[in-house]
Amino acid sequence: MAAVVPDYELAELYTRAFRVGALGLGWRRLLGPPDLSLAAEAENEEEEDAAVAAALGCAPGTAAELRAVCSIDMLMSSEKEEDPDVIPEDSSLRTLRIRKKALERREETIIVDRACRQETLTYEMESHATGKRPDDPTDLIEEGELLLTLNIFYPVIFQKHKDHKPYQTVLVLGSQKLTELRDSISCVSDLQIGGEFSSQPDQAPEHISKDLYKSAFFYFEGIFYNDKRYPECRDLSRTIIEWSESHDRGYENLQSVRMEDYVFNDLSLKIGFPYLYCHQGNCEHIIIITDIRLIHHDDCLDRNLYPLLVKKHWLCTRKCFVCKMYTARWVTNRDSLAPEDPCFFCDVCFRMLHYDAEGNKLGEFLAYPYVDPGIFN
Amino acid sequence: MDALPGLKEDCEELLGAFQQADTVRFERFAELWRERRFHTIFYGRIRALERNKITKKTLDVAQQYFFPPYSFQIRVGALYLLYGLYNAQLCQPKQKIRIALKQWPEIQKFQLDLLDAQHYDAVYIFRRLRLARAFHFTAMPKLLTYRTKKKIEKNDFREEFKDPSNRVNSLITNDVLEELMNIHDHYQKMKCVISADKSQPDKALSLIKDDFVVNLKDITLEHQEWQQNRMKLLRNAKVASETEDKKKEETLLKSEGSERANALARIKYKSYSAVVEVSRSRRHRQVQLESSESGPSCGKSPGRSKKGSRTPQPARRGEVQVAEETVTQHIGMPIIIEEDSDE
Repeated sequence: MAAVVPDYELAELYTRAFRVGALGLGWRRLLGPPDLSLAAEAENEEEEDAAVAAALGCAPGTAAELRAVCSIDMLMSSEKEEDPDVIPEDSSLRTLRIRKKALERREETIIVDRACRQETLTYEMESHATGKRPDDPTDLIEEGELLLTLNIFYPVIFQKHKDHKPYQTVLVLGSQKLTELRDSISCVSDLQIGGEFSSQPDQAPEHISKDLYKSAFFYFEGIFYNDKRYPECRDLSRTIIEWSESHDRGYENLQSVRMEDYVFNDLSLKIGFPYLYCHQGNCEHIIIITDIRLIHHDDCLDRNLYPLLVKKHWLCTRKCFVCKMYTARWVTNRDSLAPEDPCFFCDVCFRMLHYDAEGNKLGEFLAYPYVDPGIFN
Repeated sequence: MDALPGLKEDCEELLGAFQQADTVRFERFAELWRERRFHTIFYGRIRALERNKITKKTLDVAQQYFFPPYSFQIRVGALYLLYGLYNAQLCQPKQKIRIALKQWPEIQKFQLDLLDAQHYDAVYIFRRLRLARAFHFTAMPKLLTYRTKKKIEKNDFREEFKDPSNRVNSLITNDVLEELMNIHDHYQKMKCVISADKSQPDKALSLIKDDFVVNLKDITLEHQEWQQNRMKLLRNAKVASETEDKKKEETLLKSEGSERANALARIKYKSYSAVVEVSRSRRHRQVQLESSESGPSCGKSPGRSKKGSRTPQPARRGEVQVAEETVTQHIGMPIIIEEDSDE
């Protein structure tokens, strides 16, 4: 695997395709053990003057001088107690003046200024795994491992999401298999239960779509990576490949391979370019790789926690029409008892309205089990 | 820059001051930093999530000045700035500085240059950052999220920070001159061979100037000197804003400047600043004059203004800005005198 230097194919938008593993190779070749080390931070590591002198090729006296002159104390405040929350009165920095004005404006107009629960959630997700180390040393990530950041977009269900698609952000290791990523993607369509159950509400089957339709594929750079772990899995990409081969449509050499045979280091990818994840036959998610970098000692170093979800979109759950409290679990169509079509009910209200004490069906309606997209909140 | 207004200005102001100081010593930078109390740039009641975002953005802005095409001094200043910002940040754990693979060779070369010139403080500081593992070693400098709709930030850096563009020098290098010299000699020899007199070429064959290679070299050197002088004058013009010298230098620059560009700009402003006053019945559709240059005093006048009162002001503002603009963009080239040599 030759080393490669990624660069833009379309300026500021996406790069040319390159082997992911080659990036790791490229960096590891240029860096030394101290750069790659994942050891926990040592407190105030001061080097010996002799070591500095040797590295820089100067006299030890110079090294001592450097240590004094270039110390970070030269840039820090000399006052003992400085409160970072207080912006100094007469600051010459434009950033601070603007920030101060904004703060003053907020104080005048807002009654309460603290983190709402969405903000808390976002921050927690972003930082909860930082610096985590596993109990079992075999689960520790190796030095020089690559970390990919992927944005996985939700399938468009709501019209309001057409312009700004919500997405999840997942961190994945270079040495992880594609199947591990696939298993970690939680999509509401996986939980759907097919079928009309107005006559037998208690017998909604145990199988959710995820168990019934196990096929899925990723599409990266002209290759379809199909999940073939189970015998029920079908090659969903075959239709597409046949279509492209039937006429000269300008797509060359689309291939189909097994997802479980590949790890991310093997793939050729462009950063910033949209790719596809398809499951359930027609549920499609766009995937964009936003960043690839070397692992750092401040990252989460427990291999078992990856793929790691660091950001997800908060979707408001639809509540029951009757009680407005519980999340909807049933949806009815052509319901003579309901004020609108479709109408959503929680389990309790659904049964109370549509069935009598003996469990007989009252009125005409079609009822389907409903899984709300906000279920992963 | 929508995320962090004022940041770019503050960084450029500090780097500009460092450039003025005409040194690469960390001590001097530290003085300038302390003067501005730059470590307070992260102050203010910022909650953790916002603080992470702001710090990342700040380091990203500072990181850009660390690479070409910025001049050597600016790059050293950027290194010190990164050192300061990295250590002054309030995030826990600290946000890191992103370095892309394609940028690493530039950094290595920069280190070597620093070592050769014995700027030990800069080397030491980079070493400290590296030992502190302050870097993320990435594929690309920024996160790429395929945001086509969002306006891609125009990265217009200041002229003074850039190294003067070496296009002429990169075209006419020593190798090229040597090559030309060789070809020229060879050509002369060929001419001699086919001439009647073997020691010098026929009069009829002299189609080019004999010493053109030397002339070319002189012209290139002259251009380089002229460029350096221009940069110096530009810098001085910016600084000595209250002194007499500025007037002298500006007039010097203006006279160097293209007269034609000045005249054009004047005509343009005369024509555009004449706003037709509409009749009272159409008063609500009065055209308002908007100055096309971006300047601190520009922008749409708020609300419906009275008809005539606005127009003189933009014209006046416009003229001052025209002068500055032509100074930076239309400075004329020195004139190359054609020698009529007789051959």
